[in-house]
Amino acid sequence: MISVYAVLIALIVLVIYIAAYMLHGKALLERRVVKADPSRLTPAWEKFDGVDYVPANKYVLYGHHFASIAGAGPIIGPATALAWGWLLPLIWVLFGNIFIGAVHDYTTIMASVRYGGVSVMTVSENVMGRKARYIFLAYVYFALVLVLAAFLSVASSTFAVLAPTAATVAIVYMPLALLFGILVYKVGLSVKKATLIALVLTVLALIYSLYAPTYLTYEGWIVVLSLYSILAAALPVWYLLQPRDYLNAYLLWSFVALAVIAPFFLIPTLTVTGPAVRSLVATGEVIGAVGAPSNWSIAWFWPTVPLVIACGALSGFHSLVGSGTTSKQLSNELDALFIGYGGMLTEGAVSSLAVILPAALVWDFAKAAAALGVSTDLIYKAGINLTATPTILEFAGAARFYTAYGFAQALAWSRVVGVEAFPSLYKGFYTFAAWALTAFVLTTLDTCNRLARFAWTEFFDWLKPRAPGAYKVICNRWVASIIPVLLGALMAYPKLPDPAYPTRVIYAYSLVWPAFAGTNQLLAALALLTTTLWVYAILKVRGGPAMLMLVPALFLWVTVTAALIIWLVLIVPYLPALYISTAGVIVAISVALDFALIALFVRGLLLARKAT
Amino acid sequence: MKAREAVGLLITIVALALFLYELFYVNLTRGGIGVKGQVTTDAILISASFLLLLLGPWLWLGEVPVAVRKFIEARTGRKIEEVKR
Repeated sequence: MISVYAVLIALIVLVIYIAAYMLHGKALLERRVVKADPSRLTPAWEKFDGVDYVPANKYVLYGHHFASIAGAGPIIGPATALAWGWLLPLIWVLFGNIFIGAVHDYTTIMASVRYGGVSVMTVSENVMGRKARYIFLAYVYFALVLVLAAFLSVASSTFAVLAPTAATVAIVYMPLALLFGILVYKVGLSVKKATLIALVLTVLALIYSLYAPTYLTYEGWIVVLSLYSILAAALPVWYLLQPRDYLNAYLLWSFVALAVIAPFFLIPTLTVTGPAVRSLVATGEVIGAVGAPSNWSIAWFWPTVPLVIACGALSGFHSLVGSGTTSKQLSNELDALFIGYGGMLTEGAVSSLAVILPAALVWDFAKAAAALGVSTDLIYKAGINLTATPTILEFAGAARFYTAYGFAQALAWSRVVGVEAFPSLYKGFYTFAAWALTAFVLTTLDTCNRLARFAWTEFFDWLKPRAPGAYKVICNRWVASIIPVLLGALMAYPKLPDPAYPTRVIYAYSLVWPAFAGTNQLLAALALLTTTLWVYAILKVRGGPAMLMLVPALFLWVTVTAALIIWLVLIVPYLPALYISTAGVIVAISVALDFALIALFVRGLLLARKAT
Repeated sequence: MKAREAVGLLITIVALALFLYELFYVNLTRGGIGVKGQVTTDAILISASFLLLLLGPWLWLGEVPVAVRKFIEARTGRKIEEVKR
């Protein structure tokens, strides 16, 4: 077996990202395709309303966009995909980031800005007709409900079972972010000073929380986080969303930077201990199967990988954030590349460098530890039983990520402070990883709910001239915020006994994840097809640049549609009744809507060709 | 001070007091907030104060900061109406 140095992988990934940003993003998309113009007044200025349309500083908005798009997707997905080995998920993440994810993120922001800050669904009306808009809106609404269900379950299980200390950090962090917003907007303190105050308090909160766990049941957290989602989604963006997401960006950068520092500076001689490729086919458990199919070899890397790796590679949810909250706060068209394209690449770095790389490094715990002189006794003291869990594959979902990240960081920093500190370093970084994940998840929860409110309001716009009173009630911001959360919480609430391990339970996110990921990835294909049509029909871009958008979009559409059909046929019939009637039905409807949209896309493309 | 702002201020004070009580007094005396696997009064109090801390200052301090409104009006040349809650 060839020894692969972690530092080499990190270097290759960084070089690919820098080259992609400069050549594909700046030179091609910004200058040749979209032709961004700093003199155009953006919707944040033109339509300022103090709630959703508010111009934001480039870095503040980057923080919001990045924190909103980086939910549990870039972490749980790649961690689960390690069932295929570490190389295949890494390749998929890099390919998806550059050719699909960053493109749809950037172009949906720009298309939305050019149409006054409307959603990508309304953009579709301009290029595919009115029917497309309503079909798209219905699809998006269902997809967002699945996101809420999956993320409510991920955060609640982490807080209740895996890391109660992370719950404390999360609930202390929100008021701190709010304090930052008040210091800047109300007190008039400079952003620099307010940032310094907020960051110092955040670090103190993190340290204190290590000794202050908050205990509540899984079901209790579902209720609390549902209420949080409703409340946070209805509040003005300047009040909580902008300051919280701005501070979140620091958290995200620290999180990724630590992951990069470890292989580069602290453990450059360490080689990966995990297999590059385990198999091209994994068991059904990887794509959310329970019962008999969980042991069948049905999770073919292609086409089922999008059911596992969602936001880390590409994500339709990003296009909703981009054309939902981000485009309404964009202050200057030239900021969009850094925020949209750069945000996607940074999220890809979370998946590739902070999830896949640490896991590849410490895959075999004993082997990785022995290479750096950490004894098995110290590993036991850290709380890892090498007999029961010799490799990271014995951990599932979120725990796999916390363990791999915590272990890799503890190995690296124990070289600086001494190996005897390994157990406490491991616990500290484990909590840090759990907090980072839940911080992203909480941000995504309320942004997702805000987007569901936008979609809901846009869906009922036909009612406004006919029955203004009814429209006012249905589209009231509180009413529109409560409905999607209730639907998501209904799916997230139950826990099921695990047939394979009677003492364990299966949390809802394991079952809902493939449905969420699949609809999300299909949404990415639809969003990219929409902006491709916008570029082709409205911006009149032809040749290579247009094909560079169209071909990946069609490839993704075929891949995800095939994967969802596999999931519907082989997995859904064995799921508990609640999930057949919710996630199963939602995915079935989504696939039907998807075929209707692709037909409208083809018609739109033909019409655009005819017009020229 | 308007009634809404007064209510917001009251909620903020009560929520902050509960939050700090749970975080410092309860945690330091019992080694944690709440009991693992149970719904306790302490867990309910810290959760409720967390949610009220998001709501209270918003009611108290209002919707659009004056500084932001003036800046937008200067850049667009249009008068902005306060958005109704």
